[in-house]
Amino acid sequence: MTDRALEGVRVVEFTDEIGAYCGRLLADLGADVVKVEPPGGGVLRRTPPFVERLGEGPDSSLAFTVLNTSKRSIVLDLDHEADRATARSLALNADIVLEDFPPGYLAARDLGFEALAAERPALVYTSVTGFGQSGPHASYAYSDIVGQAMGGVMTLAGDPQDPPNWLYGNQANVSASIQAAQGTLLALLHAEATEQGQRVEVSAQEALSLAQETAMQTWDLQKTNRVRAGGLGMLPFDLPGLGIVECSDGYIGLYVLAPGGADFPVLVDWMREEGGAADLDDEPYATACSSLNMATLTQLMADPSAAQDMGAALPHIKEVVADFFAGRPAREAYEQGQSRNLLVGLVSTPNDLAENTQLRARDWYIELDDGGGSTIEFPGAPYRLSRTPAHIDPAPRLAEHTAELLAEIG
Amino acid sequence: MAPLPLEGLLVADFSWFGVGPIASQTLATFGAEVIRIESEAKIDSLRIVQPFALNEDGSFKSSHNVSGYFNNVNAGKLSMQLNLNTERGQDIGNRIIERSDIFVTNFTPRVIDKWNLRYEQLCEVNPTIIASYAPMQGLDGPHRDFLGFGAVLTPVTGFSHLSGFPHREPFGVGTNYPDYVINPGHSVTAILAALRHRRHTDEGQMIELPQIESVLNALGTALPDYLANGTSQTRTGNRHPAAAPHGAFRCADDTDSVSSPDRWIAIACRENQHWVALCEALGHAEAASDERFATVAARKQHEDALEQLVGEWTRPLPAETVMERLQAAGVPAGVVQHAQDLLERDPHVRERGFYQYLDHAETGRAAYDGPAAQLSATPGRHRSPAPLLGEHTLDVCTRVLGLSMDEVGDLVAEGVLV
Repeated sequence: MTDRALEGVRVVEFTDEIGAYCGRLLADLGADVVKVEPPGGGVLRRTPPFVERLGEGPDSSLAFTVLNTSKRSIVLDLDHEADRATARSLALNADIVLEDFPPGYLAARDLGFEALAAERPALVYTSVTGFGQSGPHASYAYSDIVGQAMGGVMTLAGDPQDPPNWLYGNQANVSASIQAAQGTLLALLHAEATEQGQRVEVSAQEALSLAQETAMQTWDLQKTNRVRAGGLGMLPFDLPGLGIVECSDGYIGLYVLAPGGADFPVLVDWMREEGGAADLDDEPYATACSSLNMATLTQLMADPSAAQDMGAALPHIKEVVADFFAGRPAREAYEQGQSRNLLVGLVSTPNDLAENTQLRARDWYIELDDGGGSTIEFPGAPYRLSRTPAHIDPAPRLAEHTAELLAEIG
Repeated sequence: MAPLPLEGLLVADFSWFGVGPIASQTLATFGAEVIRIESEAKIDSLRIVQPFALNEDGSFKSSHNVSGYFNNVNAGKLSMQLNLNTERGQDIGNRIIERSDIFVTNFTPRVIDKWNLRYEQLCEVNPTIIASYAPMQGLDGPHRDFLGFGAVLTPVTGFSHLSGFPHREPFGVGTNYPDYVINPGHSVTAILAALRHRRHTDEGQMIELPQIESVLNALGTALPDYLANGTSQTRTGNRHPAAAPHGAFRCADDTDSVSSPDRWIAIACRENQHWVALCEALGHAEAASDERFATVAARKQHEDALEQLVGEWTRPLPAETVMERLQAAGVPAGVVQHAQDLLERDPHVRERGFYQYLDHAETGRAAYDGPAAQLSATPGRHRSPAPLLGEHTLDVCTRVLGLSMDEVGDLVAEGVLV
């Protein structure tokens, strides 16, 4: 056994947008993942952004790369008998088949679960689709925003004056793939222990619905729907020390009243030290500031009318806090606030992330061969396993391994 | 029925809030025995926040056991009270770790140090343990002790900057989003890979999941685009770079939709044929030949007018009607659903039986999220509802640790089991 956790695991995947990240997670952990692609490649190979230096083309899409590292690529036309037979040979030599076609598509091409499992009972066959394999919507047309809408997260995101918000980054697809990776590995452990394979099925709608936070339980227990509330989140009112604050060059988020960090008076101490506390040491503000803590918050959530007792003090305190941060750079506010144990979060831009002190100090970014004679910097793995670390190799060029794979299956 | 994949494994769950408990719940759902270590002296905040179960008169039930937030992510576990601030408590903790296959925590590095739960310390009592840590920023580095949870992580990882409409402040996505699927899901993926390695080699290992590093892998192309091209993506609302119309469009209000009467339909015309089909399905076939909307590029160029037009078409219609018509025409479309829809009105979710209903001693019958991966031969299930605080302290002490009642009595007297 080497230092790869999934050494020797053979995966054949027929995926495009929904299931590719599942295959990537397995591939980076050491599985041999063969991606069967249609002639010309799938949607992701044509999706921007591209590595500009390489120009637009199937081998330069970053949308493809982020979901397909460490895999091998073979191009097969599943509507042609000879290529279908090749795909069957690959699948019947695999431990895992992973696919994200609409239900029934692969079955109609002799590549469905039943047909393959009949010949290879230990096969794990994972299907990742918008709505799963059964139920009245199983064949519904799907795109990420549809999964996000139907899965209940969009209704929670956005300002009440705007349409519900689509979360960045195709989160329905990502969630489906992450759930599929867990299910696939559970089935693999079972298959290796018992020789019994099975079908693993993930619906993106269900996968993402777990991210409704408390909305499901709020309906179940209290028969009311959580709705989108802009920056207020779960709170029914605006409070100092909570929410987005504008700095001189960006934004930070404050969560000072949430559990886990220092209380509001520590923020006032900081402001005072820097000459920015204004009249917060005078009444009625001083008393209000000292009572801004988790206990008060809990009380206010149980009885929002109590917020009115604190009266006009709260908006004024909020204004003084806003003035304090308005003149400071966001990164500095983040680092200094955190050094005082205040729950402060930088609203990071891609530039902030690329220059992030912590990520750089821990050498998280990697260099990835870009296939054009150069390298690009690339995000490191999601986790660090001390004995079997994930290892990220470049995504394959379209059909890069076709000849090699045809030779392997003879 | 086949034994579940993780049957026979014991998990020492020294975690709280979202990421750790959700990961260990998945392990429990697929057969592991999970001992959740808790303490009334440092209570898991999820036990004391909304939503609470209600009394018959509509008031909140009041106890540590009635939060739907906590209960939904702790089904199928045992709860043991243990005060890790005492030496004796740490000793008992070690005895659980000694018998466990997997250790899960999302405490901060400072707390891990304080309670002597570092990996090398765990290895002294159990050299083959798989130990999964999920610190915010990492177990070392200059931001090691930065505090946070999902709410802080959402802005720090870029989600807030990248999500929402450009004319709004980057207030995030309305939830502590990374806590629920991304981070627990990556954690479990790593744990299962480590389990496979251990089955083949008898070697345990440490897993470190710095939450920031985990989330950045789920951030699409924003970071690679900056690193490779120097392009700084920003939020663009519901629009898609290669599709139009793409967004949420208002439909007729629905007064049966409690506290949320405004209804919306999400539509994604990824291909030209989707647009032509949409026009026809909504009774405006003539619009398909409007030159302003003839191609994706043209529609992107006239996107304001396009969105206004589609919004006018959908506004008088019930969202479900729009969805059914568009889906019948092959256009990706879905109602912007809320929890009432998912639990009670979506016929698809109901037929698939996604939610599991369990009887709980204090909340009564309550819904729990089902496992999102359905395994045909070894389906996951919640064996029991969320435990009451300390419900299994005695059971763990006697059955798992083999302590006598006298020894347990001493521990109680010493204040260790609180």
